[in-house]
Amino acid sequence: MSTQLTLQAPLALPPDQVPGYLERLWDQSLGSSPGAATFTLVVWEGSWLEQQLVRCGRLDGPITGFLNEKVLEAARAAAASCGLPLSTAPMDPKLAWAIGQLGGNHHAEDQRGQFVEGAISAHMPRRLITLAPTLDGSQPLETLVAAYCPLPEEGAGSSACGDVVVLRGSTGALHQNLDLVQPLIAPDLPCWVWWNSSLDEAPEVMAALATGARRLVVDSSLGDPRRCLNLLVERITAGQPINDLNWLRLRSWRESLAMVFDPPSRRDALNHVVQLDIDVEGSNPVKGLLLAAWLADRLGWQLISTYAVDGDGVGDGIGAEFERSDGETVRFRQMPVPVGVPKTHPGAILGLRLICQSSQGSPLCVILCSESGGCMRLESGGMASMELAEEVVPLPNESEEMEVARLLSGGHDSTNPLLAAAAPLAAKLLP
Amino acid sequence: MGAVLTNPLRVGLRQERVIPPQCLVIFGASGDLTHRKLVPALFELFRQRRLPSEFAVLGCARRPWSDEEFRRKMAEAMASEVAEHRVAWEQFAAGLFYEPVDLEDPPSVVRLGQRLEGIDRLRATRGNRTFYLSVSPNFYGSGCRSLAAAGLLSDPSRSRIVIEKPFGRDYGSAQELNRVVQTCAQENQIFRIDHYLGKETVQNILVMRFANTIFEPIWNRNYISSVQITAAETVGVEERAGYYESSGALRDMVQNHLTQMLALTTMEAPGRFDPESMRNEKAKVLQAARLANEDEPWKCCVRGQYGSGGSSTRPITGYRHEPGVNPESTTETYVAMKLFINNWRWQGVPFYLRTGKRLPKRLSEVVLTFREAPVHLFDAAGGAPTPNQLILRIQPNEGAEFKFEVKAPGSGMRSRPVDMAFSYDDSFGEPSDEGYVRLLADAMLGDPTLYTRSDEVEAAWRLYTPLLELIEDAPSRLPVYPYEARTWGPAASDNLLAADGLAWRRP
Repeated sequence: MSTQLTLQAPLALPPDQVPGYLERLWDQSLGSSPGAATFTLVVWEGSWLEQQLVRCGRLDGPITGFLNEKVLEAARAAAASCGLPLSTAPMDPKLAWAIGQLGGNHHAEDQRGQFVEGAISAHMPRRLITLAPTLDGSQPLETLVAAYCPLPEEGAGSSACGDVVVLRGSTGALHQNLDLVQPLIAPDLPCWVWWNSSLDEAPEVMAALATGARRLVVDSSLGDPRRCLNLLVERITAGQPINDLNWLRLRSWRESLAMVFDPPSRRDALNHVVQLDIDVEGSNPVKGLLLAAWLADRLGWQLISTYAVDGDGVGDGIGAEFERSDGETVRFRQMPVPVGVPKTHPGAILGLRLICQSSQGSPLCVILCSESGGCMRLESGGMASMELAEEVVPLPNESEEMEVARLLSGGHDSTNPLLAAAAPLAAKLLP
Repeated sequence: MGAVLTNPLRVGLRQERVIPPQCLVIFGASGDLTHRKLVPALFELFRQRRLPSEFAVLGCARRPWSDEEFRRKMAEAMASEVAEHRVAWEQFAAGLFYEPVDLEDPPSVVRLGQRLEGIDRLRATRGNRTFYLSVSPNFYGSGCRSLAAAGLLSDPSRSRIVIEKPFGRDYGSAQELNRVVQTCAQENQIFRIDHYLGKETVQNILVMRFANTIFEPIWNRNYISSVQITAAETVGVEERAGYYESSGALRDMVQNHLTQMLALTTMEAPGRFDPESMRNEKAKVLQAARLANEDEPWKCCVRGQYGSGGSSTRPITGYRHEPGVNPESTTETYVAMKLFINNWRWQGVPFYLRTGKRLPKRLSEVVLTFREAPVHLFDAAGGAPTPNQLILRIQPNEGAEFKFEVKAPGSGMRSRPVDMAFSYDDSFGEPSDEGYVRLLADAMLGDPTLYTRSDEVEAAWRLYTPLLELIEDAPSRLPVYPYEARTWGPAASDNLLAADGLAWRRP
């Protein structure tokens, strides 16, 4: 589905006139729209990478907030010139920070929040509120409003469906004007808060936006691993419905591993796991830890200890010992692996190896490899005598917006129980 | 499929397609189907987290129940599941509502519209509605008209209607019903359900055929000599005598379930896997299907009716002595027939269909028998080599089986048949979802691939019209042969194949 533009040119209004304008818009035009009883989507749209790339002249505008191929290419090229390791993922906040140290003062039109991804607008949010923090720390608040609608199907009408509100300014200006946001959120409809940026930034803004039963969408691959996992745990413990895009991107790994153990003849091997190895790209361990924690939770392992493992110059790995329900030990090791062309998000999984050793029969070795990376390291050493089950894991090729649209299309007011169980364990796995 | 230990890693992975917020409206909510199939299927979807939080079920019937009564009755009917998943049930039941509705009474349908608007506000269901007609077939047409008159079907992107079988009782009535419902809603809003299409193994016919290169090149008249499709039941008429007396096996099983299996087995490969491409191919092959002898249909069809049987310790009552059955009934409980498909792929290949009640085994299968090897080089243990057979086991023991000849161990060069089998239990080990789980999810997703389109339904009825007319006009030409309960039907059925030098597979 293509990106949809708003139906009318965004109208810049003084902040205090926004609520009144929107009320009139609904009274006069949108009252009977099919979006009237859907949901509100609030987006914190940092787009620091895109903003920095534009500022230093490595990317043409306009700034849209969409993570398209041009942004990724420019980011990969910038990583090398910033002296960062080749394994640095384009979305790694360290890269945006490093680009921020480069010179340049280019400007481009800032259209964040004025585009509505087709997959999202198809669900007709009643209101889409975008908070767009700018690089300029002194920029005052600007507010824009417009009606929007998905481009009509052939023969269908073209009436408006909802409205978009953009609040643009420095982080400080946005923080000071959060009072403006609260009344714009319909109290009787579900509200989603998509924190489309690093979890390290603007904690007070997140705290104000993601209150109570609002459904929070985050990406735990963006930000300091400890803080990301702690945030997941805090929010889950507090009962907030939380959706982690980093967790959702594990889907194909979980599916592939489950597939290996679908035949009942293999099930017993799950009771005899002795070793789990995971290789991840670069130094962000969160995704790998979530996968390990999910597996440990599903198989009923208890965490005994966790420790740092020397990563041979690439960064520290993580080791841990679990105890199975029969008292036997499971050794876990997650290692960072350097790659030439990293995937978009930090900490993508490259491979997984699971060794199951029962007293009867030959051991089983399961190896899952990323379709883009292979996993020669995991394939090496001592497996000649084992039954080998090796699968290539397909990588989803969907944008953040598509993932969010999937959430919006059939959301839940509670956290997925599997994530709720895995996140605390993943947090404990961090040494 | 048999009960097996759950794969702990499989939990929570069946979330590939997300059902959008909506209200499912069940007409006939006080009936059996609602508490036996529909609400359990919805609860299963809820427990799999495939239903969004913005979801509601509105039960509708004439009885003056309250929301609470409806919830209580559903909980009672599903007592063991509710006890096992108490917390989940409480959450699910909060989305169950009830509204007394008489579809023949316009003000009552207007009230329904108001209630739905209230539910939209209460549950944020965004105006998306799926209307499920689980009512007497007599009310399908009038029910659709009432909903349309109240404006409840006016938005094709937000409303759809599911219609249970039987869709008509002959070609003419199916045409008329199609005409009526198509004046009330667009074809893409109309979901004619055939729960056989919800079965994993029926869908697997498509995957086996079109996801593998080894089958399709031989899936034609050059390699296949005949096809048998069987749906056998061990049960009798049970509590359905009222319906069954006016229906019989031909209408109850053949026109829908067996015909759908026939269509999936014989259709051409669609250009893509989308609803219209799929249904185009199914409709085309059904339009090419003919009774083996349309001029003298009694020569290609056998009807039967079960008599008493069983053992002295467990006697089985004959059909005419079942409660609610006319003691002189001529309704068939068994039917077998021979068809041809007049197209390039299948010209000259006989298709044998049979179904019956009180047969020795409960099973459904499709058996493709391949042509014999042109030269017999080896002695066969059984006298002559057994033709290769591919058996698609729909239920039970779901899977597939391929029979082929191998060298019998020993010093000679004798061949004997062996089986190569695939079993869902051995490979996947998880019980499949009940057909209604898949079909309800598809309807709420607006995906009609596994639902039958108007032209498919009409083609299916037209195929059997010579038989239905014969039964109506000259029943003596198509007599109902008695058969002993727990046998494989009347001898005349065996003769139907014997005339072609064949025999029914004894599963």
